[in-house]
Amino acid sequence: MKILVPVKRVADPDNANKVKVSADGARVTSEGLEWKLNPFDEYAVEAALRLNENGASGEKLGEVIIVSLGPDEVQTTIRQPLAMGADRGIHVKADDAELDSTVVAKVLAALVAQEKPDLVLMGKQAVDGDSNTAGQVLAELLGWPMATFAMAIETADGGKTLTIGREVDTGVLTLKVTPPAVVTVDLRIVAPGSVRNGVTPDAHKYGEGARYASLKGIMAAKKKAIDVRTLADLGVTDGAVVTYTKFERPPARTGSVRFVESAQELVQRLKTEAKVL
Amino acid sequence: MPKTLTGTEREAFLAVLRADLGADAVSDDDDDLRTYGRDWTRVLEPAPMVVVFPRSTADVVSVVRRCAAAGVAVVPSGGRTGLAGGAVAASGELVLSLDRMRGMGPVDPRALTVEVQAGAVTAAVHAHVEPYGLTWPVDFASKGSSHVGGNIATNAGGVKVIRYGTTRPWVLGLEVVTARGDVLHLNGALEKNNTGFDLRQLFIGSEGTLGIITAATLKLTRLPGHLDVMLLAVSDLPAVLRLFEEARRAPFSLSAFEFFTDLCFARLGRHRGLSMPLSTHASHYVLIEVEATAPGAVEAWLGSMLEGEFVLDGTLAQHGTQARALWALREGISESLSATGMPHKNDIALPLAELAAFCADLERVFLERWPGFEVCLFGHIGDGNLHVNVMKPDGMSKEEFLAHAHASDAALFELVRLRRGSISAEHGVGLLKKDFLSYSRTPEELQLLRAVKRALDPQDLLNPGKIFDVEPA
Repeated sequence: MKILVPVKRVADPDNANKVKVSADGARVTSEGLEWKLNPFDEYAVEAALRLNENGASGEKLGEVIIVSLGPDEVQTTIRQPLAMGADRGIHVKADDAELDSTVVAKVLAALVAQEKPDLVLMGKQAVDGDSNTAGQVLAELLGWPMATFAMAIETADGGKTLTIGREVDTGVLTLKVTPPAVVTVDLRIVAPGSVRNGVTPDAHKYGEGARYASLKGIMAAKKKAIDVRTLADLGVTDGAVVTYTKFERPPARTGSVRFVESAQELVQRLKTEAKVL
Repeated sequence: MPKTLTGTEREAFLAVLRADLGADAVSDDDDDLRTYGRDWTRVLEPAPMVVVFPRSTADVVSVVRRCAAAGVAVVPSGGRTGLAGGAVAASGELVLSLDRMRGMGPVDPRALTVEVQAGAVTAAVHAHVEPYGLTWPVDFASKGSSHVGGNIATNAGGVKVIRYGTTRPWVLGLEVVTARGDVLHLNGALEKNNTGFDLRQLFIGSEGTLGIITAATLKLTRLPGHLDVMLLAVSDLPAVLRLFEEARRAPFSLSAFEFFTDLCFARLGRHRGLSMPLSTHASHYVLIEVEATAPGAVEAWLGSMLEGEFVLDGTLAQHGTQARALWALREGISESLSATGMPHKNDIALPLAELAAFCADLERVFLERWPGFEVCLFGHIGDGNLHVNVMKPDGMSKEEFLAHAHASDAALFELVRLRRGSISAEHGVGLLKKDFLSYSRTPEELQLLRAVKRALDPQDLLNPGKIFDVEPA
């Protein structure tokens, strides 16, 4: 299969330099932040690699193309999936401020027209904006079938049909989709047995989570091509439809941490001071 | 000689303590006695007389004076994460827990200092100073429980020693309660103070035998910039050392160079359900953390290591989450060894030049005399520190195993002596290693150590029996 995997860099929330709101409240500042691949996109990369390989022999069964939008630094973000084993990258140059889910979906639709992948596999959402819309808008623009929140993907016929398990409130809903399609993935897609491609033997044991980039992979990634495009190249000239009016921090917590010296004292204080019991 | 109080004498003593400190700061509840009577070691059964929880230095003074008058021994107790039995109270002592003295003063961002009470948890100090872009670079796996006072009393080492040194250089001033109940303020917040013997240094690493550390002025340093973390697989210990030599020359500053064997990892995997993030199985793994300034320097170096066949395989963390996951592989080992069996721990130091030969000797000795014993090796190879963990074979009784362990210690320490190493690199001597102190210290040194102890604690009430016995056996 030919699989397109859009990825986004997000600020690492555990970084020592915390996310800050600019003084005017107009934006979140990125100065001094460390970036990481959006975790759900990392899972999509892993799922794409598992679909397109014989996990036991390492044989490749198709192409995985990584695409990311943003300033030049996103090429670093693209190198990680390339080091994990993806084949090539596409960098669409843009300012972060120009982008929202709609612009991203339009760019992806234009790239789909050029690349003609069988599958667009992406994270269900980015953990910065938490919009959870780019995949859905893309499927609509393309008129393709869509499966969101995938926690299992299975094919037995080389990708002509995909059986997708998606988590819903009452359990797992199973969908059959006929590619080309858009699939967005959830956390459990990287459990050891979540992706079955009919080629990797069932006995092959994948680890839990996305694979780490091996040294060989990191070296090989340096030689893999990253094509650079602009929004104009792809005919996307409309601006973002979402505008942000104001960012503010959640109210600071009031009170302070108090230590109690016994469970009895805790219960007493919860009753008399906090009045929650 | 400390006295063991019993019966009415004991009741009267506890009543006095309760009157001094308040009833809620004194406990002879069985659970408390068991919990506060020991550290992470499980060799001796805890049997203290009482546990007290002072809230202030004045409380500590009052307890110490009562103990001095009654002839009761005092075991200072911090986060109880020690691995040498230094905080074990096994014969009717009073345990003085610093749990309620965890206050932290304001950070001085110009002088790069902060004053904290001894019971401040190491990780809490890190969090307290982080908003200023600062850190107290004493860092190890148990930082979430260990106290600053315990760090200082044991001169704790840890995973960043290769870059920052041990705890000692990061302590500017100490407040210490002596065996007589005097309060010493040693060195304050001074960087420079050449006015005779630096008594502060005596208390650092004294394992609670010379005085009770109640507060400290800590020296801070800038938080490092971006840290790259990598896990590399190599074929054997000499390959670990070759890689270390290369890393020393590399264009970055090393902040950790840790290694562990596949036996360690196997137990971690069993305990935590973790899998190795590398596809190549190897007998030795190295975790390296570096701060690089030139972009691409780390990747270029790794490329040359792979091409030069210094490493078999490896990975470079692509982001903070992966970096933390790689660290967890190294930091989880100690706990997993205990969770999956009974380890007999040794923590030794050797001159780097002797390390490979020492390990070869070690392997030979175990193969000859204790075949079938699993030896899990890991450590901070960058500073010559090896953790040698001998695991109790399944089906062997604890007593039989400890007898073997004691005999194997003698053999191990003989090798350490031959190569001029230390029988305790960073865990301290405590109760567990004191029989072997003479492998690292000469009779002349031991005589001086005892003289210092007698001068500071003539009644032998402060953590008696730890490091050495006052009267030579």
